[in-house]
Amino acid sequence: MVEVRLENIVKRFEGTTALKGISLRIHEGELFTLLGPSGCGKSTTLRIIAGLEFPDEGEIYFGGERVTYLPSNVRRAVMVFQNYALWPHMSVFDNIAYGLKLKKMPKEEIAKKVEWALELVKLKGFENRYPTQLSGGQQQRVAIARALVVEPRVLLLDEPLSNLDAKLRLEMRSEIRRIQRELGITVIYVTHDQEEAMAISDRIAVMNVGTVEQVGTPKEIYEEPKTEFVASFMGKTNVIPARVVDRAGDRVAVEFGSVRLDGLRYTGDSDEVVVVIRPERIRIAPGENTVSLRGKVDLVEYYGFFVEIIGIFDEHRIIARLMSDKGLEKFKPGSDITFYVDRDDIIVLPKQQI
Amino acid sequence: MVTLSKWRFSKWSEKLFGTPRLEPLVSFSFLFPIIYLVLFLIVPVLVMLGNAFDYNGHLSLYWFKSLTMRYYFNPLHPSGYLFKKTAEGVYYFYGWDFGVILNSIIVSLSVMGLTTLLGTIFAFVMARYDFPGKNIVRILLFVPLLVTPFVNIVIIQKMFSPGGLIDWIFYNKLHILPHPIWLDGLIGVIVAQTMTYYPMVYLNAYASFINIDPSLEEQAENLGSRGFHLFRTVTFPLALPGIAAGAVLVGIFSLEDLAAPIVFQGAPIARKLMSFQIYSAFTSPIGLIGTPQLSALALVMLGVSLVLFFSIRAYVGRKQYSMLSKGGRWNPRVSKPKWWQAIIIYLLVIPTILLTIFPQIGVVLLAFSKRWYSTWPQGFTLENIKAVVTQPGVTRVIMNSLTYSTAAIVIILILSLTSAYAVNRFRKAKLAPVLDSLSTIPIAVSGIVIAMSYFVFFSKVPPFKNIPSLNPLNLLKFNPAFLLILAYSIRRLPFAARSISAGMQQVHVSLEEAAINLGAKRWKAVTGILMPMIVLNVLGGAMLSFVYCMSETSVGITLGHMNPTYMPITAKMKELISSSVGSAHLAAGLGVFLMAIQIAAIVLANLITKQRTSFIGVT
Ligand SMILES: Nc1ncnc2c1ncn2[C@@H]1O[C@H](COP(=O)(O)OP(=O)(O)OP(=O)(O)O)[C@@H](O)[C@H]1O
Ligand SMILES: [Mg+2]
Repeated sequence: MVEVRLENIVKRFEGTTALKGISLRIHEGELFTLLGPSGCGKSTTLRIIAGLEFPDEGEIYFGGERVTYLPSNVRRAVMVFQNYALWPHMSVFDNIAYGLKLKKMPKEEIAKKVEWALELVKLKGFENRYPTQLSGGQQQRVAIARALVVEPRVLLLDEPLSNLDAKLRLEMRSEIRRIQRELGITVIYVTHDQEEAMAISDRIAVMNVGTVEQVGTPKEIYEEPKTEFVASFMGKTNVIPARVVDRAGDRVAVEFGSVRLDGLRYTGDSDEVVVVIRPERIRIAPGENTVSLRGKVDLVEYYGFFVEIIGIFDEHRIIARLMSDKGLEKFKPGSDITFYVDRDDIIVLPKQQI
Repeated sequence: MVTLSKWRFSKWSEKLFGTPRLEPLVSFSFLFPIIYLVLFLIVPVLVMLGNAFDYNGHLSLYWFKSLTMRYYFNPLHPSGYLFKKTAEGVYYFYGWDFGVILNSIIVSLSVMGLTTLLGTIFAFVMARYDFPGKNIVRILLFVPLLVTPFVNIVIIQKMFSPGGLIDWIFYNKLHILPHPIWLDGLIGVIVAQTMTYYPMVYLNAYASFINIDPSLEEQAENLGSRGFHLFRTVTFPLALPGIAAGAVLVGIFSLEDLAAPIVFQGAPIARKLMSFQIYSAFTSPIGLIGTPQLSALALVMLGVSLVLFFSIRAYVGRKQYSMLSKGGRWNPRVSKPKWWQAIIIYLLVIPTILLTIFPQIGVVLLAFSKRWYSTWPQGFTLENIKAVVTQPGVTRVIMNSLTYSTAAIVIILILSLTSAYAVNRFRKAKLAPVLDSLSTIPIAVSGIVIAMSYFVFFSKVPPFKNIPSLNPLNLLKFNPAFLLILAYSIRRLPFAARSISAGMQQVHVSLEEAAINLGAKRWKAVTGILMPMIVLNVLGGAMLSFVYCMSETSVGITLGHMNPTYMPITAKMKELISSSVGSAHLAAGLGVFLMAIQIAAIVLANLITKQRTSFIGVT
């Protein structure tokens, strides 16, 4: 268990720069997630921390120790691979015992530790099975047990749930969280699924083409995105390009189409901005500090306990998520509608080249 | 505690070997095969070829110009004839003589064409039709794969001679032929090589047809294409890269083949082939081996093979779509033949297959018979088989071959394991493409060119020339063992290398990374994780290479024949078929022995591959 620090990590592959100077500080004992779309460099970051790849520039520290070029086999940053990488010619016991045998540990001690690990992942009694005789979820538990049993300084998980079906995914998600809490171990977790990241993480780093856009708790990332990319990546949301037309202190008025919203908080320099409105923050009744948007209903989608109404406001589509309620039937495609949003729920961010 | 200074980053190690730190195992995996192949393949060939530019001590193209003489290059006024009718009313096929270089190219192209035709038709029938007796035909099609140096050509020569099997069936019995025929000269060589090498195309074509995603053809049918149109527009183009690869391999084998020209050399035109010309120097006074003119000829031959080789590599590399199998199993498109298709299969295809396996059957008949003058052999005997086990002159060559092949296999395994590991696992290394090309190039370098260049290299270049047992000019002390082992290890490397490389590609690299990540040294990850998973590929490749070492001809009958005490099986077989009457039967006995080894290897390979560990979690 250790604090992991990345300083300005640059990694180039032939033709592309996969990481363009990444700095992160992952606290001791936290579950830290790298979140981002496919190809943004999550796996590369993880492999560099594991010592399976070496950076072209920058340094990595575990606590006070510089480990940038420390070989993987002595680094004790153990990875659980996306495909589990279980050795098919070894039993579950031998798979898990592998790292312990390398340390020339006495047999009884190995047996004890393997038993402990199997218990931890709830697979007691599977010692003599072979990986082909296990289900996907069981294989993954073995992979996790195999990593944990060597007492890693940091545990690295690369999209551990992507090969599992939806139900198992939820189950394993809480399993991983439980084990992490039980052992108090530092875990770095990679996923491209924002919902998964929100549910499991202490903190999240949102990555985009080789850079870190924002680091924060799930709540911070969701509620106070610092960039357009983060805002649009975190769930279904309305991101509307707009122009600043008036400034007064840290408040501005913006316009898109014929819609004008004023009294919004914004401190950036650029006048080209995006307005971010979370669908669930939109109401259809006015409040104290609300702005209003007048338009027409384009589509109504029914999801059970909530309803999404997609309104058109001068060619801009805005989604509102409303609790299913009796009063909503009157909204049909084509009918007039007014959305109200609290000024403080609207985020204005500089427009970004994506 | 690990000290940091120990783990320094090495920029040039990363460039060359793809590892940021110099790792002995990885650098060895690159350097050993590269140095070995450069030292014992590239350098000798270059030294010999250097000869070709040497005219009385200065650089010159004189010897290449000399190859434009009519004897070598005669495109406009060919002598010879395709066939003529003899006084006995036999149609005697002989061939036109366009000069040594063009003859070789024409023979090679003809053999490519004919093998492609046979191989593709057989493969299509086997891949797409389900007919009674198919399983037997499937087994029969393994027979032509059995290599029996020289003796199978002897049988083919008999088949197509007056009174041979072909005349007996088609002239005497079925009366299809209006006259007896006799294939000799270059036509004989073409037919012999076609029958010997067509399995190469067959296997490639079969694999290609089987690997075509059925949905592609179904989609075409769905759009209204059927019958021959479907084959011409979808099936064949998809299978073409595989077929072409097989055909080019055949073209290269035909160029370098010595067995057919040697057996047919009674017709002078059969000697007018590049391979035979280079070879014949070994049968003349020793000073003529590796003369500048022959070196120039060797360079031309090498050039033709390399052009064929690299063009197919580029072509197949570009068009790999037929291999785009999406994983998962599908129902192969196999159907019952229609009535007219059945007639073609039973009356044309299967009889042709039977004819193409006759050489191997003939070798067995020859081995167990006393005389063979006309259509069928006479006088059953076990003498030849007994001689294989007891006659000292024969058992000695068997022991020689076994020794050389075993030694070569050890080297081949080290070479192919290291090179496959280096190339597959460290693709970013600058040396990877170099090694990749180097390790496949032996396919394109013919045996006779290696033989000649070894002769020049080991008799001219110190320190080798000063070691009596290595210097072929040192007639009494020379022991070809070392040179043969080198030649075998290089010529037969591609068989094992391909199999092992295919195995490594199937093992996902994360399995080794996981081991290293858990604390294993690289050596441990390779021996403990990778090796157990590719052990079957290693065994399979080793057996294949071994079998082909045992039957290696070009180097065996040249360098290997310079000191009879140490000659290998193939040299003995060549000696037997070209000496007194009756000794061909003993050669056939050796052929049967070689076939037995090959069958044992095939059966063994089939047995062990039945129980493959399936790889899981490989996405
Ligand atoms: N070995 C490699 N050689 C060349 N390019 C590479 C290599 N590994 C990764 N890349 C490139 O680096 C970039 C980042 O890749 P990486 O695998 O880290 O992405 P990722 O965020 O893990 O994506 P995914 O969600 O698809 O797994 C990509 O553009 C990828 O093509
Ligand atoms: Mg990834």
